[in-house]
Amino acid sequence: MYLPDIQLHEADTLEAAAALMEQLGPRAEYVAGGTDLLVDLKTARTEADHLISITNIDQARQLTADSEGLTIGSLVPVGRLNETPLSGTWAAIHDATQVMAAPAIRNMATVGGNLASAVPCADLPPILMVLGGGVDLWSRTGVRRIPVCEFFTGPRTTVRRHDEILLSIHVPPPANRSGASYERFALREGNSIAVASVAARIRLDDAGMMQEAALAIGAVAPTPLLLENIPAILAGRAPNETAWADAADAAVAAADPISDIRGSAEFRRELTGVLTARALRLATERIGGDST
Amino acid sequence: MTTARAFNINGQNHIAVVEAHDTLLDVLRDKIHLTGTKRGCDVGDCGACTVLLDGQPVNACLTLAGTVGERRITTIEGLAEDGVLTPLQRSFVEEGGIQCGFCTPGMALAATALIERNADPSDDDIKESLSGNMCRCTGYSGILRSVKRCGNYRSDGTCAKHDHHDGDAPEKSPDNDTVGVSIPRVDAADKVTGRAQYTADIFLPNMAYGKLLGSPLAHGLIKRIDTSKAEALPGVLAVLTGKDVTDTKHGVSPARYDEDVLAKEKVRHVGDPVAAVAAIDERTAERAVSLIEVEYEELPAVLDPMSAIADGAPLVNDRFERNINTHVEQVFGDIEAGFAESHLIREEVFTGNHIYQCPMEPHASISTWDPDGTLVLYTSTQVPHYVQYMMAHVLNIPLGRIRVIRPTVGGGFGGKAATSPLEINSALLSQKIGRPVKMVYTREEMFQYGRGRHKQHMRFKLGVDRDGKIKAFKSEIHLDGGAYSSFGVATAYYAGSMIPTLYHLPAYQYDGYRVMTNKPACGAMRGHGVPQPRFAFECLLGMVADELGIDPVEIRERNAMDPETITVNDLDIGSCEYRATLREVKERSGWAEKYGKLPPGKGIGIGCGGFVSGAGYCIYRGQVQLSHEKGREPFQKKSIFPHANAVVKITEDGTAAVLMIGAAEIGQGSDTVLVQMCAESLGIPASRIRMRSGDSDISPIDLGAYSSRITLMGGHAVSRAGTAVVDAMRPYAADLLDCNEDDIEARDAKMFVRDHPSRCVAWEEVARKYFNENGPLVGTGSYKPPDGLGGDYKGATVGTSPAYSFGSAVCEVTVDLETGKVKIDTFTDYHDCGRAINPKTVHGQVEGAVIMGASETIMEDVMFDEQGKLLNPNLHGYLMMTIKDAPDIFSGIVDSYEPRGPFGAKEIGEGSTLPVLGAVAHAIANATGVWITDLPITPEKIRRAMRAKAATAEDVPAMAT
Ligand SMILES: Cc1cc2nc3c(=O)[nH]c(=O)nc-3n(C[C@H](O)[C@H](O)[C@H](O)COP(=O)(O)OP(=O)(O)OC[C@H]3O[C@@H](n4cnc5c(N)ncnc54)[C@H](O)[C@@H]3O)c2cc1C
Ligand code: FES
Ligand code: FES
Repeated sequence: MYLPDIQLHEADTLEAAAALMEQLGPRAEYVAGGTDLLVDLKTARTEADHLISITNIDQARQLTADSEGLTIGSLVPVGRLNETPLSGTWAAIHDATQVMAAPAIRNMATVGGNLASAVPCADLPPILMVLGGGVDLWSRTGVRRIPVCEFFTGPRTTVRRHDEILLSIHVPPPANRSGASYERFALREGNSIAVASVAARIRLDDAGMMQEAALAIGAVAPTPLLLENIPAILAGRAPNETAWADAADAAVAAADPISDIRGSAEFRRELTGVLTARALRLATERIGGDST
Repeated sequence: MTTARAFNINGQNHIAVVEAHDTLLDVLRDKIHLTGTKRGCDVGDCGACTVLLDGQPVNACLTLAGTVGERRITTIEGLAEDGVLTPLQRSFVEEGGIQCGFCTPGMALAATALIERNADPSDDDIKESLSGNMCRCTGYSGILRSVKRCGNYRSDGTCAKHDHHDGDAPEKSPDNDTVGVSIPRVDAADKVTGRAQYTADIFLPNMAYGKLLGSPLAHGLIKRIDTSKAEALPGVLAVLTGKDVTDTKHGVSPARYDEDVLAKEKVRHVGDPVAAVAAIDERTAERAVSLIEVEYEELPAVLDPMSAIADGAPLVNDRFERNINTHVEQVFGDIEAGFAESHLIREEVFTGNHIYQCPMEPHASISTWDPDGTLVLYTSTQVPHYVQYMMAHVLNIPLGRIRVIRPTVGGGFGGKAATSPLEINSALLSQKIGRPVKMVYTREEMFQYGRGRHKQHMRFKLGVDRDGKIKAFKSEIHLDGGAYSSFGVATAYYAGSMIPTLYHLPAYQYDGYRVMTNKPACGAMRGHGVPQPRFAFECLLGMVADELGIDPVEIRERNAMDPETITVNDLDIGSCEYRATLREVKERSGWAEKYGKLPPGKGIGIGCGGFVSGAGYCIYRGQVQLSHEKGREPFQKKSIFPHANAVVKITEDGTAAVLMIGAAEIGQGSDTVLVQMCAESLGIPASRIRMRSGDSDISPIDLGAYSSRITLMGGHAVSRAGTAVVDAMRPYAADLLDCNEDDIEARDAKMFVRDHPSRCVAWEEVARKYFNENGPLVGTGSYKPPDGLGGDYKGATVGTSPAYSFGSAVCEVTVDLETGKVKIDTFTDYHDCGRAINPKTVHGQVEGAVIMGASETIMEDVMFDEQGKLLNPNLHGYLMMTIKDAPDIFSGIVDSYEPRGPFGAKEIGEGSTLPVLGAVAHAIANATGVWITDLPITPEKIRRAMRAKAATAEDVPAMAT
């Protein structure tokens, strides 16, 4: 199994990458870790004449956390993110990074690639959505920030223009009295792909009622999806099983799964409900006294 | 875009000419010929290509060579320094971390990266680190042990003390490494250093590369083939289509050769070979194949046996009416009376799944023709002799003109037990272009070639008396055979014949139909034909036990086979310690405290099984000759020629022995146990023996690695050859020791006078004396199964064997009742494999079989769409257990001695799969309250059944007891 004829170009700066893209046109693709793109090229799911390797662009390899929030350079390998200590609700990102693929793949796969390939069952989007993440898209005309929940337009399509480079992902600072989690169902323990996944974030007020709530589902709709009606369903209520059941109903209603070799649409809906309750339960459990 | 690039590999600078599309794996293997890094899938799923980049594991198949830059690359060849194994490598060798070895380089590198970060990793750390590395052989247990204990090993070869696996024989000593001792595999060091050469690792001078074009349709007529564009592609050397090749058909069952070398008019499954191309490199061949234009007339396809046998269904092959390839009808005892006497009769329908062997090493063959017209075929096979036989048939040349070389084989499990299109087409292409031709399957092509387990549709009816004693059993099975006969006739018979070996069945009826469908042909896979019926039978017995309120272990004990029994279908059971295996698993698993007493979601279950120790008859009848030289001979109830043959040659100085036998080492450890048995009979340490089992020019015929035959049959041949050597030496020893030659004994590299070990002489001195006076010291040995095996009914040969194995397994599971997900927690297995020649190898086989069996019970299934296209011909869609899925396994061996086996031994490799499926299914039923009778037992099926049960009963009754 070989890669088709391609030309390989390397860019060390955003400018250089964009210049190459402009010059090479629509049959060129950026390549980061290559774990999606090379598989797609080898199996003829995608075609390209030119690959522009962007892995050496330092600007997109930063991983910083400060009072402004968490900034994950798009070229940060998932493995590095997985091993970087994260605080508060950010730590729930590890729920996703540690179940993704396997260590060797994670050493190659980048965070940006996981978003940019826009595979419906990708593991990072749901958790980044509930954490309020935004994607910075760089082009020669400037940077635009798109909320992760508005980034995907369909299976394998996003709002990213062909020339734009995903520069980084920004996650706002964790609010106090909040907890988050990512729950995923897969058919085996190692190196598996999500059949259904749910990310949740809860913030409690001083009275212990839910002040904020967010829920995102993965692998059960054409794109990962942040559920818009969850705040209305949960806000102001006590974090308990009745609330989780209502949220689960809403998630099941929002799911629009397909049937494929990993599971029927019916089973995926059932899983969505179960995982929703679990994710909310775990997110709530994780809310420490007054920790941030 | 071709550039010369420098790579820093294992501390050395390598310059390679790299093209933009080259991956690091392409460069390492094809350009630099560092072939220790393996290609198992090419898309990131298997981990066989794992290398370290700046110390971090990555998949070389997904790394663009052009982006590696100056980063440090470590491959398996770079681990050992100055030829000294690292402690981790030593641990892999000593702790049973290696079988076929194909996954070993990737595993060892991933583990090296782990222990450099964390010298004392927990089990969970190890499992996480190796979770992207698939192993099909070891069940991961040996690998986990190897990494866990690597701290005990030092590179100077010494080892700190550590706990031993219960049941292991004592630690080896230099004088004690023969029969019954767990010596490390003789090929382990080669495998852990990347030195072992698999077929695809071989590069012959001036070699060309072949590729096959497979049919895109499940069923169709070929209207037109245009190869002109492919032929015009620069670098293409030859193109063959059906019209260019012989009309001689091939296959496995002599009465049903039905495969064309390349499709003549008709294609019968997706992937059916239509054309073959040779080119200067594999990529060009791949490209050329895609340029061949084939016009088909699509025919309606039949995809399941039930609709295939319906009147008017399209025929896969006109030869087989109603698509019935074989029909078996067998009745033993008085079946009507048996059911009439029964207190309880239970009838159930069970469905199996399409399982594929998925050896980690893809099939590969290289053909080259010597100037004298001899074909030299390097091939990844389990059955060098049958390949030789079939090649002679297809090419119409004498067997003597074919030399089969079997390089290291990366697993088979039955998938490499027939002659493949790669073997035949590489030979034809090579003949045409006058250059060596290498052909290797991609992972997808392996699935399309198929030969996996038949999916069986089973209707079983069991009648028992009040005490649970079996009165009658009726089995009706439709086997989904796929598009060709392959092993299917034997499979259909095996599906029936092995059921009566485990329990006393006074009356038994079997109706079997092997049905052709437009899917890749099914063949023989580990446990050949038996695992699914055995699963179904064990489930049914469990259901009956529940219904009667008898403990499931107890009901088995009441019906268990006894030694020295002729079964209802005339199989001759010799040694049998089945009851002992039941007793042991019951005790060790704590069955009595657990069964019926576990909380919901926790379950325990039992399953049993056993197998032949080598088929009693050869696949073809008659003598060794070109198969169409003479007509088929009438069947005689005896072996026409010896099935296993060995030659032992002693080096002229007497210090080493070369053991020559054609028995195929495919990862199961046969080289090692044969060396041990040969050493025992020669009276020298195993370390003095060099095995030559891979070349038909060197070694006499052995029928190969199938039907679990090598330990018993090859073992007899090698020990007889060894004994022949000692017998030849006796007069010389007697002369030197001044005694009667009958009083000479050979042991520990000495020859001595019986009962007077101090009156001894060095073994090699006697050997030298022999050579000086007589010339070469050589012994030969051979083995024929006993004459007269089996009954006199049609199909009575299938299931005959000199000896039978028995085993029991208890499985414990945790089921997530909300999602249906099953976690298999533990397995307790006891086996009667006769005397264990090498206990560690036995445990390795059991551990591998448990994981393979558990994996097929809960997750494996080759899936097809409505047009017969494979939906998951890859290792992310076809799910096999990873190290994180693997349970803890206890493997125990019961005391047993088989008088018909060499040193009392019988089989382990296939029999150990058989208890597994039923045990897992039972444990899941016990945990969930629902029996799933349709494999694989997926979470979705469990949930569906639980919902259905909840819907029928308002309050869910207590869990199954
Ligand atoms: C064996 C295996 C297992 C896997 N398991 C999982 C899993 O469990 N969960 C999961 O979510 N994924 C999984 N994946 C998918 C994959 O590893 C991830 O999606 C990965 O994060 C993709 O990143 P990459 O850097 O490799 O992307 P690439 O393959 O390099 O690129 C993917 C796409 O994104 C574009 N792109 C990448 N980076 C940028 C950028 N900075 N700006 C603009 N466009 C960009 C590329 O042009 C390309 O179209 C698996 C893959 C393999 C091979
Ligand atoms: S060959 Fe690279 S992961 Fe399988
Ligand atoms: S030893 Fe692991 S695949 Fe064979």
